[in-house]
Amino acid sequence: MILKIAWRNIWRNSMRSIVVIASVSLGLLAAIFVTSFYKGVTVQKVNDVIKLEMSHLQIHIPGFRDDYLPADYLNNAQEIKRQIQNKYNVKAIALRSIAMGMLSSPTKGGAVKIIGVDPVEERKTTTLYTYIKEGSYFEGGVKHPVVVSRKQADKYNLSLKSKVVVTVQDVDGEIVSGAFRVVGIFETDNGMYDEANVLVVQTDLNQLLSIPDRSNEIAVLFEDHDDVNSIADELQLQYPSLEVKSWMDLSTGMRFLVEAMDTYMVVIVGIVLLALLFGIINTMLMSVLERTREIGMLISIGMSNIRVFSMIVIETIILAVTGGPLGLLFSWLTVKYFSEHGIDLGPFRETYMDLGFAPVIYPVLEPHDFYMVAIMVVLMAIIAALFPAMKALKLKPSESLRKI
Amino acid sequence: MKKIVVQTIGLSKTFKGPLPVHAVQSVDLTIEDDEFTAIVGPSGSGKTTLLNMIGGLDRPTSGSVSVNGLDLNKLSDHELTNFRLKHIGFVFQSFNLIPVLTARENAEFILLLQKYPRIEREQRVLQLLNEVGLQDKVDSRPSQLSGGQQQRVAVVRALASKPDFVIADEPTANLDSKSASNLLDIMERLNREEGITFIFSTHDQRVIDRARRVITLVDGKIASDERR
Ligand SMILES: Nc1ncnc2c1ncn2[C@@H]1O[C@H](COP(=O)(O)OP(=O)(O)O)[C@@H](O)[C@H]1O
Ligand SMILES: [Mg+2]
Repeated sequence: MILKIAWRNIWRNSMRSIVVIASVSLGLLAAIFVTSFYKGVTVQKVNDVIKLEMSHLQIHIPGFRDDYLPADYLNNAQEIKRQIQNKYNVKAIALRSIAMGMLSSPTKGGAVKIIGVDPVEERKTTTLYTYIKEGSYFEGGVKHPVVVSRKQADKYNLSLKSKVVVTVQDVDGEIVSGAFRVVGIFETDNGMYDEANVLVVQTDLNQLLSIPDRSNEIAVLFEDHDDVNSIADELQLQYPSLEVKSWMDLSTGMRFLVEAMDTYMVVIVGIVLLALLFGIINTMLMSVLERTREIGMLISIGMSNIRVFSMIVIETIILAVTGGPLGLLFSWLTVKYFSEHGIDLGPFRETYMDLGFAPVIYPVLEPHDFYMVAIMVVLMAIIAALFPAMKALKLKPSESLRKI
Repeated sequence: MKKIVVQTIGLSKTFKGPLPVHAVQSVDLTIEDDEFTAIVGPSGSGKTTLLNMIGGLDRPTSGSVSVNGLDLNKLSDHELTNFRLKHIGFVFQSFNLIPVLTARENAEFILLLQKYPRIEREQRVLQLLNEVGLQDKVDSRPSQLSGGQQQRVAVVRALASKPDFVIADEPTANLDSKSASNLLDIMERLNREEGITFIFSTHDQRVIDRARRVITLVDGKIASDERR
């Protein structure tokens, strides 16, 4: 009966209730959409980082990634590769040599990171070959091939078949140079990556560095994304003199980005709910105030404090919670639509790409996000209910009956 | 001698303020079972204040009220609410009913709070609504009822759980004279046939004429108390 009264009371001032219910659902829609957008950005960034740059984990000599000294090579890279392949469900493993150096064309020179790859293994490990816009990914039998980005091609005034000189420090610290010929030009969504990296064949680079048959880096891509962190820990124990890091720790800020994802959602939804909380408290206080005489009458004829309290609490909770499922439904539909069609950032494209983010965002929402939001809405409703309900309890029957 | 339902001893209520109001002053009053008593007096004479203390809605400044021998001063607020629920029926001047409930649901409300079984609730309430001539209005909301019909629903609610007595503070004040006399007929009949004790206040002479005992208040004191 109390439930019935509460439900009908809500529809007494239906306009007011509809406004509250609509604001709860729209508020949730906004909060969830913003969150899913952010999640989409993060997930895309993660995929990008894994597929294009880092793979799932990498192994180096400790400190290699600070200075990129050719002397910091792995002695038994092939052996480690075999061991990992035997032990885990591995998709691909790439061995690389890496050096910092100068790229010079007849008109210009600049600093780049030179990555020496085995084209066959690298194709299985990273997706760079899919971003080739001109030429090919080390095909065609050209001697000393190099693959550069569109950005670099523009900067150094290069085109296919252009000749460039790569200058590096070899294993003994000598400055050495080699001539390479452009065979492919790539363009990814990640402007920062494009600016920094050029790719050559590992044996060519090793020759230049005087580290034949060596590698500085092992990059591993597993079939399964989920256990990567624990595998990294396991391998670190197995190879204590090396540095084993998962993608989360290889790319600056990634761990934070991923771990902050859920916190971020709680904060955004929390702020929206806080704003709604005040609206609901206000509405219910008004409703209690308007019903002073009626509530006074109920207490007079013997309705106990507990029951009056529950009546207002139930009313508030129904009012606050009804918008919840609606909001979740709207959010689900909206996110579903955009997760299929994507959100093109239009005029902000360039900025985003320069920051290393993709220009089209596919928002992401997971089931546990829904539970989390649902729980938060219910919590908010309970908090919103307490204040008006206490107000109702403070009414003195004899006094509230006298008010006209 | 008849059973004493309500007894007040030196009952007083003073409202504090810059000018304290002595709304009720040392009232000694005894109400017996089956009485049909009117508390009369001009506006501001203390009728409501007196009825509120007798009904356990307000606490006296001094003196005491006992209902069937139980001193209401000894009850906590919570016990007092429960006592009202089980032992006293109330009919107010207006705003008696819950607007979102139908006549039947309103009438059942007290039985429901007392957790009567559904069948018993329905039987009792339908029978009473029938007795007060509202058989056609059981599913109407208060807004669809006239003032007199609303007051009759309130009387049914007050009676439904067979309280020790019914307090009605100016139940006819908002009614036209025909509805007022109709309500009085009903109250009188329930008093006569079912032995319900009524204490009601009024300043309407036609209502006063129907009472069997008339207690007149002047400035919060009993000025006269006549039975007829
Ligand atoms: N809550 C209150 N505070 C101050 N004075 C009050 C209050 N309630 C009633 N009074 C005063 O007490 C006196 C008696 O009031 P009341 O019992 O309502 O009289 P009646 O019901 O006979 O009109 C009046 O003077 C009224 O102004
Ligand atoms: Mg009065």
